[in-house]
Amino acid sequence: MLEAVELTKHFKQTKAVDRVNLYLEQGEIVGLLGPNGAGKSTTISMISTLIPPTSGDVRFHNESIIKEPAKLRNVLGIVPQEIALYSDLSAKENLRFFGRIHRLSGAELNKKVDEVLALIGLTDRQNDLVKHFSGGMKRRLNIGAALLHEPKLLIMDEPTVGIDPQSRNYILETVKRLNQEKQMTVLYTSHYMEEVEFLCDRIYIMDKGCIIASGTKDEIKNILSSEHTVEVKVEKVSESFLHALRSQPVIHHITVQERTITVLSPKEINVFRLLFQLAEKTNTVFTSVEIKTPTLEDVFLHLTGRALRD
Amino acid sequence: MISILTAKFRLFLRNPWMVIVMSIVCIIMATIIGAASEKKVKIPVYSTLSAQETNELLHTLNESHSFRFEQMDAKKVRALVREGKAAAGLELAENDFTLIIASQTANTFFLREYLQKVYGEKGQANAIAKQLHLSTEQTTKIVKEAKKHPAFTIQTMSFRSKNAVIIDPQMQPIFGFSLFFVIYTVAFQVLQLLKEKKEGVWNRMILSRLKKWEIYTGNLFYSFIIGYMQVALIFSVFRFGFGIDFHGRFPELLLLLVPYVFAIVAFSILLVGLVKNEQQFQALISLLSVSMAMIGGAYWPLEIVSSNILLMLSKIVPLTYGMEMLKGAAVYDRSLTELLYPMSILFLMGVVFMGIGINLTERKSS
Ligand SMILES: Nc1ncnc2c1ncn2[C@@H]1O[C@H](COP(=O)(O)OP(=O)(O)O)[C@@H](O)[C@H]1O
Ligand SMILES: [Mg+2]
Repeated sequence: MLEAVELTKHFKQTKAVDRVNLYLEQGEIVGLLGPNGAGKSTTISMISTLIPPTSGDVRFHNESIIKEPAKLRNVLGIVPQEIALYSDLSAKENLRFFGRIHRLSGAELNKKVDEVLALIGLTDRQNDLVKHFSGGMKRRLNIGAALLHEPKLLIMDEPTVGIDPQSRNYILETVKRLNQEKQMTVLYTSHYMEEVEFLCDRIYIMDKGCIIASGTKDEIKNILSSEHTVEVKVEKVSESFLHALRSQPVIHHITVQERTITVLSPKEINVFRLLFQLAEKTNTVFTSVEIKTPTLEDVFLHLTGRALRD
Repeated sequence: MISILTAKFRLFLRNPWMVIVMSIVCIIMATIIGAASEKKVKIPVYSTLSAQETNELLHTLNESHSFRFEQMDAKKVRALVREGKAAAGLELAENDFTLIIASQTANTFFLREYLQKVYGEKGQANAIAKQLHLSTEQTTKIVKEAKKHPAFTIQTMSFRSKNAVIIDPQMQPIFGFSLFFVIYTVAFQVLQLLKEKKEGVWNRMILSRLKKWEIYTGNLFYSFIIGYMQVALIFSVFRFGFGIDFHGRFPELLLLLVPYVFAIVAFSILLVGLVKNEQQFQALISLLSVSMAMIGGAYWPLEIVSSNILLMLSKIVPLTYGMEMLKGAAVYDRSLTELLYPMSILFLMGVVFMGIGINLTERKSS
């Protein structure tokens, strides 16, 4: 349905997006996962025809939309990363405005506005000004404003940033419903891997402008099939133990979070024995040792040597 | 485009205070400055005539451009003159007047001249009235009519030559402050466009069925209307609230404000195209509006500026042409066709600024 080919964007010195290839099939939810500054928003802006790429192409039903954006625009709904609403208008007035600019009017407009209000759970607050809304309500309305013209393709840029878990859950469920009930195709951008894991059929992981991994959840996690992720809890993190870990070539990607140390190591070696040996030498006491099923976070760590979230 | 205008006006009605406060501040400033720069000399007056006759006579006397006559009791008049608080006092009688002065000055000389002229005309009217057995009012009317259609005309060269300078201390601040304050109002409205771009409402509009020209026109037309409403409101308050009749040119003034507000809208979009962010815009508009007001003659009339550099600079400032038009109509009594030149310059500036401004704004977004 939609395809980005060698998509590239340079801003002066920064290569914000570097030769990105991705595609979406009708009815899929596809995740674009990456840390802040990875180039997700820039990629999305190019795909949705808002900024022209430096090079590369975006194809919709096999036709380039760079010169002729109208075809895509008419079926596209976009949820920007910022709250793109008039804060001095009420929820209903906002929706009516965004409906009217899509040429909705009269009874049809009323019907769509009521429908969207119900969908995003703001029917009771429809006459309140947006500036009096909580973060979660604003986020929901931000999504609602993209749905009035019943887009076939919904592109969402970090739609859950900075909101309470309940609103977040509501939004994720709503996206799933839109996909299942209205067969809406969704491109979902986030730096929360749980969200992407929960929602998406396929995932692209992006870092520093490039796609570094892609595929289904399982395919991506299989990147780590040759590795164990081991989580060690210690009574006290000692510099000597960390030093001992670092000096072992088979143990890599060591991260420390309070008293939890996470390491990756090849499956062939007996990592338990090694860890206990090192502990004994450095007088370190373990409170627990555990092999974890890998998460997308671990994949990201494996691929980049950095955590997804800072 | 209608959808944009509807939404914008709804937003405006939610928060009209900025425009209202701007208008009130403008009216207060113009009134204070106008009153402070009044040049008329105050003359205290008492009268031995009947109240009605006194009023009629005072009304006639107060047509003077140099003196303002105020009635009070005889004691007070003498006291004011004695204490040197008034240049002269005046006692009005049926056929003659008495000047009470402390010393002879140029002003008392002109005052005597003026009073003699008024009493002369009054005596003339009275004499005719007696002969024709008419009332004095009727004769005054007849004499005035007769003067309008004289038996023979003497071609007089206008006392003011074509390039004569008139400074109207009442019009100057009204025009100056209105044109100055409207820059802020308009700029603030156009600035919303920059905010909408940053916050993404703009992108939603771009991706909608709206055409790009509709988005620009909607935004700019709205800014124009708000700016125009403000100046029209201020002028109307002076016209109908304070009874200032703008020398009978009120409707023309309203018309002449159109090209000026248009040029300011265009100037604002040019700034939007030039700046990187809102803060820069705010800083620039404060700086530019004040300098334009100074250079363009909003604070003091350009007629008293002699620096050639300043006068040259004034040629590139829209406010200059705005003042030129308004004063041209209300103070110099020029016709609209005579004001075509500043009007076309403003339209031209508007078109050029808008073209460049929109182009720059567009280029920034890619
Ligand atoms: N308009 C722009 N001008 C210059 N640099 C930009 C612009 N937009 C984004 N960038 C840069 O491009 C990189 C990717 O940004 P972005 O696409 O917003 O990342 P993400 O959405 O993944 O957080 C960042 O380094 C950012 O600073
Ligand atoms: Mg982003």
